[in-house]
Amino acid sequence: MSDRTAPVVVIGGGIAGLLAAHELARHGVAANVYEAGPRIAGMAATHTDEDGFSYDVGAHFVTNRFMAALGMRAACRTLPRYGEVVRLGPDRHPLYPIGLLGVPRFVRSAIWEKVRRPKRDLLVAADRFRRDFGRALADEVALPLLEAWSGLPADELSSSVIDKLPTSLAKTIWLRAAQRITRRAVMIGYCKEEPSATGVFHVYPEGGIAAICGHVADGLASPVQVSSPAERIYTDGERVIGARIAGQEIETSTVISTLPINRLSQLVEGTDRLDRFRRFQFRGLVLVNLKLTGRQLLPEVIVWTPKGFPYFRVTEASLAMPWIAPEGKTMILCEFGAQPGDDVWSLSDEAIIERCLSTIGPMIAGVRERFIGASVLRQPLGYPVFALDYEPDRASLATEGTGIAGLHSVGRNGEFDHILMEDTFWRLRRRIPGIAQEHLKATHDHHVMSRPR
Amino acid sequence: MRASEPITLEHVPCCICGAVDGAPVGVGEDFEYHTSAQSFLAVRCPSCDLIYLDPRPSLASLPVIYPDDYHAFMFDEEQFGIVHKVRSRLEARRLLRAGRGLPADAHVLDVGCGDGFHLDLLRKHGPSGWFLHGVDTDERAAAAAGRRGLDVEVGSVEQSRIAPGSIDLALCIQTIEHVADPVTVLRSIGNLLKPGGRLYLITDNTGSPDFRLTKGRHWGGYHFPRHWNLFNKASLRKLAEASGMEVITLSTTTSPVNWTYSVRNMLVDWNAPSWLVNRFSLKAAPALAVFTAFDTMFTLIGRGALLRAILGRPR
Repeated sequence: MSDRTAPVVVIGGGIAGLLAAHELARHGVAANVYEAGPRIAGMAATHTDEDGFSYDVGAHFVTNRFMAALGMRAACRTLPRYGEVVRLGPDRHPLYPIGLLGVPRFVRSAIWEKVRRPKRDLLVAADRFRRDFGRALADEVALPLLEAWSGLPADELSSSVIDKLPTSLAKTIWLRAAQRITRRAVMIGYCKEEPSATGVFHVYPEGGIAAICGHVADGLASPVQVSSPAERIYTDGERVIGARIAGQEIETSTVISTLPINRLSQLVEGTDRLDRFRRFQFRGLVLVNLKLTGRQLLPEVIVWTPKGFPYFRVTEASLAMPWIAPEGKTMILCEFGAQPGDDVWSLSDEAIIERCLSTIGPMIAGVRERFIGASVLRQPLGYPVFALDYEPDRASLATEGTGIAGLHSVGRNGEFDHILMEDTFWRLRRRIPGIAQEHLKATHDHHVMSRPR
Repeated sequence: MRASEPITLEHVPCCICGAVDGAPVGVGEDFEYHTSAQSFLAVRCPSCDLIYLDPRPSLASLPVIYPDDYHAFMFDEEQFGIVHKVRSRLEARRLLRAGRGLPADAHVLDVGCGDGFHLDLLRKHGPSGWFLHGVDTDERAAAAAGRRGLDVEVGSVEQSRIAPGSIDLALCIQTIEHVADPVTVLRSIGNLLKPGGRLYLITDNTGSPDFRLTKGRHWGGYHFPRHWNLFNKASLRKLAEASGMEVITLSTTTSPVNWTYSVRNMLVDWNAPSWLVNRFSLKAAPALAVFTAFDTMFTLIGRGALLRAILGRPR
């Protein structure tokens, strides 16, 4: 144990791990990134199929601000529009969120809620939504959607699921107007770490989201080591002392992990402090991409479907990103909340595609005539579930970290939080100075202690 | 055509304290000269309050981001007419005030002198015994100054041939925001000053209302991507301290330029018709006049568009 410059071990070659190494390098701290899979980009991977359609795993929001921070903006296209609507019935698709103010019963119930202020337990998601939005909007729209992508009843979920940076109504209207004037998809909300502004809008890199990972990886001093799964993280009960990656023992005083926090807790040896994170649950998603002829089949890029459909959200990404589908064709993404092993998850590809085709008729006329093909993707790490059950542990992870010196859990899966890539970036930028300092100090102390007297 | 060349970018720390955890403040493009398809991020150093570009163009990209028609290379009366006349008069007055009390044979150095506009004013309106020197890193600027008959050295002030301790008054007018390493530049100027010599420094003020209103994207003072470090009173004090200079006075002064360009950048960005865009430029006397009056009010409460500092070399 004499290597005083032992690099930081970064587990995971997705965007979070790569950005962590990128920020560490700026502090003069060396890091090695280990990726379990055969290539980088993990959840940010982009696929292009033989029909010329390209798709990402899940929805990724990237802004010009984030791309400018990485010096990649010149390689991005600007999205001309972006919007979300809620399907309240045939031909009733108010814009989310401001269009919902035009529904009298939602407004009535929201006012009633504010005036009467019935007793509510605001730590519970169901009650908090009812207080914030009124009972009608909560029960008809917000809670069914929340339950679909959480897989738990809303009275078993914590209200911290909605602790986002709030965008005021006036600002939302102003940003919508800016979207019209500038013909750009001005970002409204979404980013937790940095505010929305008229000059911050959605862009998409040439080569897909994976291009971002490639760009960051190219800038690192040492190449990402692929096919290198993390197997153990050693601690002395208080702090990290090393790790085993792909059978190789590595000394280090700092590990930055992007693994799902429940997985990470299973790898840590010498302490039980992380055991409490083992019961954290991720909700899976089954993503069905229907390839269809035609364009503009949906009223907006995203249509939330709180009732009447087996999926909770339908997306026509080609409205915002025309280039992801060949001309005259489009792609409709149907998202099902599911759990590995449950009924939906276990359906065959044919069966789940059939389920989409047989139910989407009210939204897309003649869908069977338009149908070209489909692909199905099962994503076990769709969303972190903010169960009330383990909320104190989740909150402690957010405020105190893992409880082990030198062990940092970052990224959306590591932090167990609903955050965008850009949030991950700004959070890392704030956290890495402390991590770098701690690492340098630990390696220095270690050196002093192990020097022969 | 230079504009089609891609530029290369590099990450940089805060030039005062070396920290790299800048928080985003604004993102924008080269709305004025369109020299690059990149967007640039202005960040704020949490400890110094410095606003700086990160990442910013590498030094190798300078010829791209300063195109041949860059205004500092060619601010002449022929093209700029009445604006040139008014600006000349105002700036001559300011310069002479800065040079008050200097000996009849004083040596004055303009760092980042561009086409020699300010030196020329001193030659016309200042005492005839003054020795005027200029340095600028850009050959095209120095050549333009040469055409005015001024003696301008091409290169950085750090490597200047000027004898240390020989300068009575140094000028650094809207230059410090362009340089890669302001601390080194100020230190070098400090070395060139005589004991008791002074540096008259003008730079864009991030403590101004125009910054506050338009910092997200369109602020004229960003001058994306050519202004690399931008100051308010607090960060300028820190810069002076880090450079071993003493702050003698620190105030703000009036300029219509950032107001005008903030509006212009917004119009350009939002694809406004060119007749409207052209109402807001360095040649648009009405807009400049209105914004001069407007900014004068803010100067009265210490929030003018430009910072003005007199720095001294400690004895």
